Order: sequence, then structure tokens, then C-alpha cells
Amino acid sequence: MTKPIIEVKNLAKSFGKNAVLKDITEQVDPGQVIVVIGPSGGGKSTFLRCLNLLETPTSGEVDFDGEDLTTLDTKRVNELREEMGMVFQGFNLFPNMTVLENIKLAPMKVKGIDDAAATKRAHELLKQVNLDDHADAFPSSLSGGQAQRVAIARALAMDPKVMLFDEPTSALDPEMVGEVLNVMQELANQGMTMVVVTHEMGFAKSVANRVWFMADGYIQENNTPEAFFSNPQTARAQDFLSKILM
Amino acid sequence: MKKRVVLFFALVLALVTGFTAMTPTTANAATDTSLSKVQKKGTLVMGTSPDYPPYEFQATVHGKTKIVGMDVAVGEKIAKDMGVKLVVKSMSFDSLLVALQTGKVDMVISGMNPTPARRKNVDFTHTYYQGGYSIVINKSDKGIYKNKDSFVNKTIGAQTGSTMYNESKKQTSGTTVKGMTSVSDLILALQSHKIQGVAMEKPSAQAYVANNKELAAIPSDFDLSASDTSASAAFKKGSTALVAAANKSVDQIKKQNLVNKTYLPAAGKYLKTNTVNTSMFHYWKAFLTGIEYTLIITVCSVFFGFIIGVILALARMGQGGVVKTGLRWLATAYVEFIRGTPMMVQVMFVYFGLGLIVNLPALTSGIIAISLNSGAYVAEYIRGGINSVDDGQTEAARSLGMSSGKTMRFVVLPQALKNIWPSLGNEFITLIKDSSIVSIIGVSELIFQSNIVRSDTYRGVAPIAVIMVLYFILTFTASRILNYFERRMQHD
Ligand SMILES: Nc1ncnc2c1ncn2[C@@H]1O[C@H](COP(=O)(O)OP(=O)(O)O)[C@@H](O)[C@H]1O
Ligand SMILES: [Mg+2]
Repeated sequence: MTKPIIEVKNLAKSFGKNAVLKDITEQVDPGQVIVVIGPSGGGKSTFLRCLNLLETPTSGEVDFDGEDLTTLDTKRVNELREEMGMVFQGFNLFPNMTVLENIKLAPMKVKGIDDAAATKRAHELLKQVNLDDHADAFPSSLSGGQAQRVAIARALAMDPKVMLFDEPTSALDPEMVGEVLNVMQELANQGMTMVVVTHEMGFAKSVANRVWFMADGYIQENNTPEAFFSNPQTARAQDFLSKILM
Repeated sequence: MKKRVVLFFALVLALVTGFTAMTPTTANAATDTSLSKVQKKGTLVMGTSPDYPPYEFQATVHGKTKIVGMDVAVGEKIAKDMGVKLVVKSMSFDSLLVALQTGKVDMVISGMNPTPARRKNVDFTHTYYQGGYSIVINKSDKGIYKNKDSFVNKTIGAQTGSTMYNESKKQTSGTTVKGMTSVSDLILALQSHKIQGVAMEKPSAQAYVANNKELAAIPSDFDLSASDTSASAAFKKGSTALVAAANKSVDQIKKQNLVNKTYLPAAGKYLKTNTVNTSMFHYWKAFLTGIEYTLIITVCSVFFGFIIGVILALARMGQGGVVKTGLRWLATAYVEFIRGTPMMVQVMFVYFGLGLIVNLPALTSGIIAISLNSGAYVAEYIRGGINSVDDGQTEAARSLGMSSGKTMRFVVLPQALKNIWPSLGNEFITLIKDSSIVSIIGVSELIFQSNIVRSDTYRGVAPIAVIMVLYFILTFTASRILNYFERRMQHD
């Protein structure tokens, strides 16, 4: 049996009196693709951000590769974040840098990789997301789909073990969703461990190993996509699916 | 004599006296080392305010500007008799006694009369010169005015805060007394008939009349006590040995009537060579020096102010922890305090206040004070700039494994700076203009230089017009350059 790469134990997170995550215990095995779905405001983003400690949990453990992030010092947390790439709904590219510079920044400043090597790797990643011809463009000149693919390449440049996606296609025009999902699917095919918050049910069905249904601060269901979509167990999930599939 | 009693300077003086009283002084009568100290270092530093011909003024000697006048001759004699070299340091009259107390100068000779108030803070030598007052009028009015009593329903001008000003008020009736800070301004007002007479010291009056055919001098007939018209050299309180040594020279000067026989005529000759060519172009070197210092002060202050601003902004934005909270509190207090006090006071405080601990040259003090001041303002711009950068930028950087420091340095600050570049540019332009404040501690920037040219040439307006144009050229060029860089940064 493989050791899980991420283990969440009794995770809880409150903002003041607002208990967003109540008690979550789950695990992610290497190579797995997890899709997290659930109603808006249910705490999906907060959960994802707790995994790389962008948000500090109120209680509970987040183990990454056997180390409990909540007990580590800042320096070690920074090091472990390198191994968890994150892609945001709003891309968050650095607007003052070209596409190439966006990708090279962290490898050079954090890992100390020299310019030539970083440039070479950046071009490889851009080829992987089909954007090598945009290497010298500034983010403002890119379409949403292109920007999100650059953001994926930027995260991959740190050679992470896990990729976290927070609604990567929600801000895109419908005709651009496909190009981003294709890149993600390819990543999954290459064996990347991924935790994806999304409303793209097609992607969940065809790519995910497990679907986690999250609502009211709990993971209400954890099942295979086939089982979850054909036979949701909880009333909460049935209700959610009926609304979304209409 | 010049007897300015500006409240602010009195306060600074009192403050400094307070400080010195608290620090142990080596100078007491029994073990007074003041003279041996001066002899050991081989120089006697004399402070003076060279805007008061023929007492002291700047003259161009063999193409170089130099401080000359009868007071300098007196100082030279005192130094020579002590067997040391005289070094003349120029600063505003108001700063002289503070400079003496803080050890910036060893001796002050600047047409200063030994009033009881001053005697409390410093020690004076015997009187080396006994002057008197005249009133300068337009030559065309020569028949109309005879003395101070002729100005009923008219206006007399005098240097603000001076003995002449106070006496003119006290000893005339029905006469308006108009105060201005500089004698050149008063002469200008006289020639444009805004005032009918200017009360000033006899030797100064003679100098003005000798150099300007339109003017004439009449006796003032003020009723004055001897100490109001006498001039003495001042030393730091308690330097008995120095005063005694200087008194020997002063006594000789009096006995041989050196001031009237030698010093004044020599000063008069400088005045003549000085005013032969009063075209502004003749003084281009003085203005160039002014530009040079103005730019040095501005560029250095912008540089250090920026660094201080970044540090303050980061300290103000620190979150959590006792240390960070403390730093945030300190930085906030600093910014509020600096923004709530006048820059002039800060400049004075750094020069004289810090001067008690380390002896900083005026230029360095000026740069420090303006940097500290500018830093407080820049900090607020930077804080605003950092806040204007989207949180998503920080999150993206942190998710890539960048530390908070690297995130700030490589991601947030570059964007923040781009956003606030116009504000920083304005700050630079403002500093070009505000650097003029350091003229009060004697840094030869543009304003200071223009005042010297004004008192040298007896021309009131031309030097002002020149520096006005020069300031405009500086600020306009600077804003063009800044715009250029701003445009270059707008690539997204
Ligand atoms: N930084 C924050 N401060 C306070 N409340 C927050 C913060 N982030 C999220 N929340 C609250 O947490 C709840 C869950 O938000 P989120 O995790 O974004 O849900 P989802 O991604 O599932 O839509 C919401 O009620 C939101 O208002
Ligand atoms: Mg969300």
C-alpha cells in the first residue's frame, strides 16, 4: 500500500465566529486526481488554501509527505509550498513581467537556478501548454484561457509533487474552458497528483479518481465519480446535483 | 549691532544650553583647557554671517569667493596672536551662538553686541569697535530729512529683530517702522519709495552710500547706551583662557585704532572691487555652486529618504508578535511626528541637537534631516502603493514557495513602485525646492548663494530672478526625465 501524500486530520477553520471547515479527515494518494465539488460558499477554497497553509487552520493536522505543516516553522513551510503548485481562479499572473519572466521568477529566486537553465525549462513548459509563441508577451495581452495556461506552467516550473486548482475555468469564457481542461487532463495522464475544485462535471467524470462533495464545512461524500454521479448518498448531494445538471 | 531676538532661536539656544548643562563640561576656571585645545589643533574656527558689509561679506578675490571685512581682520589678528590659523565658517546670524555652544565654531565675530541676554550664554571679549547708527535715504530727499524725527507720517525700515528696529519703534512718534529680514531688501524698498529711510549701522550706511550714487546717509540721533553699539567677539561660556588671550589682541586693536585706520579702509576696497561688476553673469560661479549643492542635497535625500520610507512602510505594515507590534507603533509615531513638525525645526535640531553628540558638517546634517523628513512622506506613498497591489499577487508568490521577504521584494514592491512613481516623482521635485531650507545652517545651496550675491551686489531683485529661473529649469528638467521613465514603465 502506498503512503498518502496528503493527509488531513480533523481539520477545522473558522473566521471569527464563522466556522467554515468543521471537521475534515481525508487523504490523497500519489497520482490521484481528486475533484472537490459543492455549493458556493461551502468552504472549498478555504479547504484548498489550508492544504498549502495560505490559510492557517484553526485546529487539526495537514500532513504533507509525512510532515505536519501546522507544526513547522515558516522556512520549512516555504520549502514544502514549492512542492504544491497552486492555480487560482483569477490567474494571478504578475502583470509587470512577461510570460517568460513570470515562469522563471520563482525557480531563479527560490531555487537559485541560473537564468539559462530557467529559460530553457520555461520554454519547455510553455510548449507543454501550447504557448511558446507568447513567451515575450505581457499578461494583459493574453486571453483568459492563455493566461490560465501560463499560470499552470508557472506552477509546474517549481516541479511540484501536487497541483492544487481552485476553480481554474470559472472565470473563463465558455470557448476557452476546453483548452485549459485539456492541459489539466494531460497533466493527470502524466501521473500528477491533483486536487481540483471545479464545477466541470465532465472533467470530474472523465479524469477524477475520487469526488469529494463538500458542504456545510464537511466532506459529505467521498466516492468514485461513477458512483457519486449515478447514486449520490446524501440528500444534500442529490439536491446539489439536481440543480447543477439541469 | 545686529541683535536678533527671534523666539525660536532663543528656544533652541535654551535647549542646547540645557543639554550642555547636563553633560559634564571640562571648561571651568581652574582647569580651563580652551586655549591649549585651540593651540593644539592649530586652528581657530570663527563663525560669522557674511551678509553685513563692511563688517563681513563675501568678495571675489582672484576669481575665488572669500569672506572678508573688518571682523575677519579682527579674527585674523586674534588667531595670529595665539599662534594659530584662522578658519572662517559662514552661517546665518541666528545660528551663530548655537554653533558656538555646540562646538561647531570656537569663536563668533559678526558685529555682535554683548547684550546681557547673550552674556548669560556665552563669554564676550572687550569691545573692539564702537559704532553708531545712521539713516540711509534717497539722495533726492536730502533736504527733507535731517534725523529720526523728520519721518512723521512716513515709514522707516530696519532689519527685523535688530536693535535699530526696536529703537526706531521706541524713539520715534508718528512714524511707521517697517521690518524686513535683509538689508538688501530694505534698500530695494527705499529705492522704490515704499519706505523713506533705512536705519542701519554707520559703517554699513557708509558702505551703501559709497556704492550707490542714488543714496545718502543722515545721522540718526538715536539715544543709545554704549553697549548697544559696541561689537565684541564671543566664546563658549567658561573658556576663560581663550577670552583672556583674545582680549590682549582686542586691547591692542583699540589702542592702535586698527579698525578705523586699517581694517575699515581695507574692507572698503573689497567693497569697491566687489561692486564694480554687478551683472549676474559675473556671479555665475556662485550660482553654479548653488545648483551643485541643491542637487547634491536633493539626490542624496531622495535616495536615503526612499530607503527610510521603505523600511518605515514595512514596519508600519507588520502584523502579529510583540516585536512587530512595537515596531509598527514606533514607525507610526515617527511618521506622525515628522509630518507634524516643520522641516526647518528638524534641520536645526539635527545640526545643533545631534551636533552635541557627533560633530556633523552642515551639509551632512542637512541631508540627514531632509532624508529623515522625506522618508516619513515616502513611507506613506509606499504603504499606499503596497496596499494597492492585489492580494492575489502575494498568494501566487507564496504558493510558489517564495518567502514573505522575497514576495515583497520581487513581486509586490516593483508593482507598488510603479503605481506610486508619479507621487515619488513629485516628492523629488518638492525636495529640489524644499532643500532651500538648509540655507539656514549655512549650506551653500541656491537660496544661500543668492543671498550672498544680493548682499555683494546691493541688487535686490536680479539674483532672485536668476534663481527663480534656475529652480524652474531644475524642476522642469527633472519632471521631463521622470515622465520619460514613467512612460517606459507603462508596458502593460
Ligand atoms: N479571509 C476570510 N475572512 C473571512 N471570511 C472568509 C475568508 N475567506 C472565506 N471566508 C468565508 O468562508 C466561507 C467559505 O468561503 P470559500 O472557502 O471561499 O467557499 P467556496 O470556495 O466553497 O465558495 C464564506 O462564507 C466566506 O465568506
Ligand atoms: Mg471558492
